[in-house]
Amino acid sequence: MSAADIHHRLEKNAGLLIFGILFVSAIGGLVQVLPSVLQESLSTPTANARPYTALELEGRDLYIREGCSTCHSQQIRPLLAEVARYGAHSEAGEFVYDRPFLWGSKRTGPDLHRVGGRYSDAWHRVHLINPRTVVPNSIMPAYPWLDTRPADGRGDIEARLRTLQKLGHPYSDADVAGAAAALEGRTEMDALIAYLQVLGTFSDKGASE
Amino acid sequence: MQDANIPAGESYFDGAVLFLVMAAIGWSVAGMAAGVYVAAELIWPGLDFGQAWLSFGRLRPLHTNGVIFGFGVSALMGTAFYSVQRTCHVRLFAPGLAWFCAVAWQLIVIVGGLSLLAGFNTSKEYAELEWPIDVAIAAIWVCFAIVFFGTIARRRVQLIYVSNWFFGGLIIVIAMLHIVNSLALPVSMTRSYSIYAGAQDAIVQWWYGHNAVGFLLTGGFLGMLYYFLPKQADRPIWSYKLSIVAFWAFTYSYIWAGPHHLHYNSIPEWVQTLGMLMSIILLAPSWATMINAIMTVSGAAEKVRSDPAMKFIVLALAFYGLATFEGSMLAIKSVNVISHFTDWTVGHVHSGALGWNAMITFGTFYYLVPRLVGRELYSVRLANLHFWMALAGTMLYILPMWASGISQGVLWLTLDDLGEPMFSFKDIMASMPPYYLIRFVAGAIFLAGGVLLAWNLIMTIRGHKIVVARPPEVRA
Amino acid sequence: MQTGKVDSSFLVQLLLRPEAVFEKLATFRPEPVDLIMKSVVWLALLPPVFAYFGGKWFGWRLGADKPLYFPDYELKAISAAYFGILVFGYLSTAVVSRWMATTYGARRSFGIHLALVCFVGAPLMLVSCLHLYPDVLINAIGLVFGLLWSAYLLFRGIPVALQIDAQHGMLMASSIVAWLMVGFVSLLGITVVLWQRGIGPAIWA
Repeated sequence: MSAADIHHRLEKNAGLLIFGILFVSAIGGLVQVLPSVLQESLSTPTANARPYTALELEGRDLYIREGCSTCHSQQIRPLLAEVARYGAHSEAGEFVYDRPFLWGSKRTGPDLHRVGGRYSDAWHRVHLINPRTVVPNSIMPAYPWLDTRPADGRGDIEARLRTLQKLGHPYSDADVAGAAAALEGRTEMDALIAYLQVLGTFSDKGASE
Repeated sequence: MQDANIPAGESYFDGAVLFLVMAAIGWSVAGMAAGVYVAAELIWPGLDFGQAWLSFGRLRPLHTNGVIFGFGVSALMGTAFYSVQRTCHVRLFAPGLAWFCAVAWQLIVIVGGLSLLAGFNTSKEYAELEWPIDVAIAAIWVCFAIVFFGTIARRRVQLIYVSNWFFGGLIIVIAMLHIVNSLALPVSMTRSYSIYAGAQDAIVQWWYGHNAVGFLLTGGFLGMLYYFLPKQADRPIWSYKLSIVAFWAFTYSYIWAGPHHLHYNSIPEWVQTLGMLMSIILLAPSWATMINAIMTVSGAAEKVRSDPAMKFIVLALAFYGLATFEGSMLAIKSVNVISHFTDWTVGHVHSGALGWNAMITFGTFYYLVPRLVGRELYSVRLANLHFWMALAGTMLYILPMWASGISQGVLWLTLDDLGEPMFSFKDIMASMPPYYLIRFVAGAIFLAGGVLLAWNLIMTIRGHKIVVARPPEVRA
Repeated sequence: MQTGKVDSSFLVQLLLRPEAVFEKLATFRPEPVDLIMKSVVWLALLPPVFAYFGGKWFGWRLGADKPLYFPDYELKAISAAYFGILVFGYLSTAVVSRWMATTYGARRSFGIHLALVCFVGAPLMLVSCLHLYPDVLINAIGLVFGLLWSAYLLFRGIPVALQIDAQHGMLMASSIVAWLMVGFVSLLGITVVLWQRGIGPAIWA
């Protein structure tokens, strides 16, 4: 049977065609993606990695809500100039509690993976309320509302920790139960700053340069 | 929209087709307007007027979702419904279900858009919509599959034509990608957490993200091309054998290319290298298809005439060649080291999105809509003007992005004699506004061209009904 | 058809009345070597020479506030490579154009294709005077104008000079545009890769 004949069989039979497409397109994922997803080393935390506290988690979810990862990356590549600018390059073990990952695909603003500890809380507050007060030419949007809205506006912080607990994050039941109390009296700004200050501290190489 | 006096002898069902075409046109204007707005925000950040919902971070996914899922999917669904009937010589299977798909999809895009403005966002690119909408997408996609493959199952033509392989690939592969990548544990109706974390999530996300480009924006539109190009050129595809080889090589290789989005990131080296190699190999089937199409057109130049639809298709093929070549090139690690995270990637995306996707769709619509309503195009002059605006807009978009992207990439990595970064990030970014200004103007020109198309086609349709067309076997 | 020598009067006319130039070319069969020595070489020399002096006097202004200055020998090397690339671009595009000629039913003499490429590319060579002040943005804007002008000459000139109908002309011009875009983007990629291997201006550590 010639090649053309073989293909004619596919063209005469929709079921075979569907199966053929599914089979051929699945191969790449099975060989390349599946092993990575199952690979232990990619889900083994570094010694310093830990799950986010309730306040930090709220901050992370606000980072996602405001779309910060459309302009900021969190992935320092192992390149001389990049390490000189941002600190030690990123390692997989630092991200095991990141759901979803926030590596980003564009730097309209600088990489933030090791921004923790670089600037004071006060600096972050001023910068987030209006970036142009500290960086005159900045094109970053202003986020004044973060300072006036209370943290956990949707009231689901406990549910969030419980869900992460189900996904394997080592929260104790006390952590989960005390989550709402931990956010009492805090603003969204407090939460986001808490998250930014923890970024980069999970590296085994010590504090960011 | 059908004339009730025509007897119920089988005719093609095109009601949902026209609806989807008009929806696609509407989304192209809305989605591109959002794009022009965010481009402006990158120059004048005050354009959010202090409102959270107008902020760049919320509007950017509105733009991407509007153009990919609003414009792209509506156009693909409409042209798939149109062409599958005519290549199978049979009326669309389950027209009611087809209507449901068409209308429900629009609701998804609208609700999805509103949810993004409200800040319900997973942050995974081109998969930002939260889980309830993901479930709805999967459900409608199943219906789409039923209508499409149901029509094929009932076909009167023995062999399944190549455009249907590509549309079939679109349906099957996007289903697989969407379901696997969207897996998450819900926290509430508006929030969920991905079952994947960190590096693993990155690998799954870009297996999805790259192949959304591959099978939706490339494969699906190739389905459109393989049907409408021979129709417009009034000749068969140049090489049947080449189309077979290209299709299977394409379907096999594209899937592996995802990791080129993660070069030098914290994922295993072998995954990056494999992604790079397959991205380069992918160039062969991509260009095989382009050559097949160009040779088809070249053999029928008389049909080109002053036909604006043909002009769009010819330039769409040129940009398809550019974008697929540039993609393979950007996947090479040595090039990627400079381009990653920069505007070069953005320029590449838009050479494909504007130069290939938008232009092939515009060309197809200028051909299809007059035929659907049995009329001449309202204004050939306006369509020609649109063509030059689309071409100018695309070129003016790409050029400053190449310049700004390479500047960024090179300057970020430049060290002084002491081994310190020579230029601060903010100084490099401070010189970007002029490029962003040219890009903003380019987008505005492209959008204006799209508005011309909308006007032209609305005036073509106005007051006319869909022509009733029948399969050849029924006509005889 | 007369074989003939293409001289600088063609170039001057190109700026004022391009249609007349292309019509004249339609009756000509230019000699390639003569064309290269009289036109290609001189046109291709313009951008590298401008770039050398601009780089020497003002430095490369890539956007950040400090201009980049390079040692003299590096500027000369860059200009030499630039010249080489342009000549290669002219010749290769003419070869590609001639290769496409059969498909589109166009004239097949190498000389006519080289002449066409030479004239179509002339606006870009002239606009390169902006290299005398090597600010990226100014040169990018100049490039846009040069490209628009060259594109106009390409789409107008091909059917006339190569004696084919408008439809085939449009297709052929579009195919050449595709070749040029791919060639340019390859150049970007190759340049970037070479720079990292140390073959290029020393702005890396």
